Amino acid sequence: MSPSTQIALQNAVNGLLIGGTYATVGLGMSLVWGVLNVINIAHGAFVMLGAYTTYWLFTLYGLDPFATLPLAGAALFVLGYGLQRIVINQVIRASFLITFLLTFGFDLLITNTALAVWTADVRAVTTAYSGRSLHLGPVIVPAIRLMTLAAALLVAAVLHLVMSRTRLGSAIRATASDQEAARLMGIPIAHIYALTFAIALATAGIAGGLAGMSFPIYPAMGANYTFIGFVVCVLGGLGSVAGALLGGLIFGLLTTYAAGWLGPNYDYIVAFSALILVLLAKPTGLLGRTVRFRG
Amino acid sequence: MIRPPAVGTAVSGAEATAGPLPSRAADARGIALAAAALIAALVLPAVLNTYYVRIITGIFLFGILASAWNLIGGYTGYPDFGGAAFLGIGAYTTGILMLRGHAPFAAALPAGCILAAIAAAGMGALLLRLRGHYFAIATLGFMLVLRQLTANLDITGGGSGINLPAASDFTVFYYWMLGALVVAVLAGFALPRTRAGYAIAAIRENQDAAQVLGIEPLPYKILAYAANAFLFAAAGGIYAYWLTFIEPLTIFNIDFTVQAVVMALFGGPGTVFGPVVGAVILKTLDVVLTNISLFLHNVFFGGLVCLLVIFAPRGLAEIFQSPAGLRASIRDALRENRV
Repeated sequence: MSPSTQIALQNAVNGLLIGGTYATVGLGMSLVWGVLNVINIAHGAFVMLGAYTTYWLFTLYGLDPFATLPLAGAALFVLGYGLQRIVINQVIRASFLITFLLTFGFDLLITNTALAVWTADVRAVTTAYSGRSLHLGPVIVPAIRLMTLAAALLVAAVLHLVMSRTRLGSAIRATASDQEAARLMGIPIAHIYALTFAIALATAGIAGGLAGMSFPIYPAMGANYTFIGFVVCVLGGLGSVAGALLGGLIFGLLTTYAAGWLGPNYDYIVAFSALILVLLAKPTGLLGRTVRFRG
Repeated sequence: MIRPPAVGTAVSGAEATAGPLPSRAADARGIALAAAALIAALVLPAVLNTYYVRIITGIFLFGILASAWNLIGGYTGYPDFGGAAFLGIGAYTTGILMLRGHAPFAAALPAGCILAAIAAAGMGALLLRLRGHYFAIATLGFMLVLRQLTANLDITGGGSGINLPAASDFTVFYYWMLGALVVAVLAGFALPRTRAGYAIAAIRENQDAAQVLGIEPLPYKILAYAANAFLFAAAGGIYAYWLTFIEPLTIFNIDFTVQAVVMALFGGPGTVFGPVVGAVILKTLDVVLTNISLFLHNVFFGGLVCLLVIFAPRGLAEIFQSPAGLRASIRDALRENRV
C-alpha cells in the first residue's frame, strides 16, 4: 500500500471516529430546532458544561470518564427542563430573532460564569488507557476514540427508540408537526417542550463528556461546538436522528481531510463552504424530510 | 405539505414594527432634536476631559453599528449576525493600506468601506436567498471564515496582527466616528423615504406577496446589505486607527454584532433614532458596570439580553409609547408569546 493511500485511509478512520462526537453535538441541536423552532446558540455552552462535569468527576472522584456520561446527561437534563419550563416557554411563540437572542444571552451568562468559577485554564481528561490503540493492518485506531464512537452510536440509537417507539416520542413528534392539534388531543405542550429541551441538553451533556476525552476543555470552547452542531444539522438535514448521525460523520471526514491536506487552520473555511453548497443546492439537507421530527 | 421550519415559511426575522412614516411635524421635531444633539456633540471635546471623550467615541462606534444593522435587520427583516465580518474588512483594509501602502487614513478608510460593500454584494447574492435561521447562521459562519482566513494569511499579519501608525490627536477618532454616525443616521432616515425603501418594507412584511407585485427582492436586499456593510466597515476602519493594533480575535468578534442587534432591538428596530438611543443607554450602562467589575459587565449583558427579549420583545420605545400603559404592554407581550 502506498503511503498516500495509507494516509487517506487513516484520515477516513480518524474522521469517522471523531464524527460520532460531532453527531452527538448535532443531535440535540437538531431536536430543539426541529421541535421548538429555536436555534440554540447556547448549545455549545451546554456541551462545555457536560465536558466540565466529566472533567471534575474524573479528576476529583476518579470516576472513569465513560461512567460520568450518564451523570453529565442527567445533570443537563434537569437544567434543560427548568430552563425551558421557566424561561424559554415565555417567548417560544415570538419571532425566531427573539429566541435566538435569548439563547445568546444564556451563552454569555453560562460562559462568563464558567470563566469566573473555573478560570480560563485549558484542561484535559487523560485516562490510563488514553494512549492505547488497535492496529488494524496499516491503520491505527486509538482505543478511546473508538469507545467515544460506540458511545455516540448508543446515544443515537436510544434517542431514535425514544422518538419512534414511546408515547413521549409520539407526543413530541405530534407537537412538532402541529402544536394546536396536539394541544386539542390533550398533550400538555409546555411540559412536552420542556422535556424536549431536557432531552436535547442531556445529549449535549453527553456530547461534552465525549468531546472532553478528545479535545481540550475550557470555558469558551462552546462557540466552536455551536457552529459544529449547526453545520451537522444542515448537512444531514433537520428532523431525524439518522440525519444528525450522517451529518456528524460527514463533518468529521471533511474536517479531518481538510486538516490533512490544507493544514489545521482551515476547518471553518471547509465547513462553511460545505454548508453554503448544501444550503443552496438542497436546503433540506442530505436526509431532509418534509416532517419536523421523525425520530 | 409541511416543510421544515424557516426554509419555506416567510419568517421576517426582526419583527420590526416600523409603521407608516411619521408625520411632517414629527419629522421636523426629530430633525430639530438631532441638530441640537449634533451641535452638542461637536463642542463636547472642548469641554470634556480625555476620559469622557474616549467613552463617547466608543458610544458613537456602537451607534454606527446599531444603525447599520437596523438597515438590514430592522428595515429589511434579515437578521444578519455576521456584521463583524464587514467591520473586520474595514479595519484590515484600512490597516494594510496605511501600514504597507503608506496611504493617508482619509484615503484608506473609504477603500475599506467600498471593499466591504462589494464583499457584501457578493456574499449577499448567495446568502440573501436564505431565510430566517439559515441566513442568521450562514452570516455568522461567513464571519468565522474571514477570521480564520485573516489568521492564516501573511498580508494580514496572521494571528499576531498588525500595528497601524498612530494619530497625532485622539479627538481625530471622535470626529471621524461622529461623522460616520451622522452618515449612518442619515442612511436610516433616507432609506424608508425612497422607492427602494418601499420595496424593502414590502419584502419585510411579506416577501412572496412583494414578489407577486413585481418587486424582485434580491437587488433591494443586496442594497440594504451593502449599505449595512459599508457602515460596519467605516466603524471598523476608524476603530482600527483608534486601537492602532488589530488581530483576528478582537476584530472578528461576534460581540460587535450581537451588541449592535441588542441595541437596535432595545431602542426600536426599524426607526431612525431608536438604534442610536439604544446604543447610548446600553453603552453608558456598560461603562458603569465595567468600572465595577469586568465579570459583572459580561454577565450583566447576558442577563439584560434575556430580560429584554422576554419582557420587551419589540423594544423599549414601543413599550413606553403603548397606550395601554407599561405594565399592560409587558403583560400583553408575555401572553402573546408563551405557551
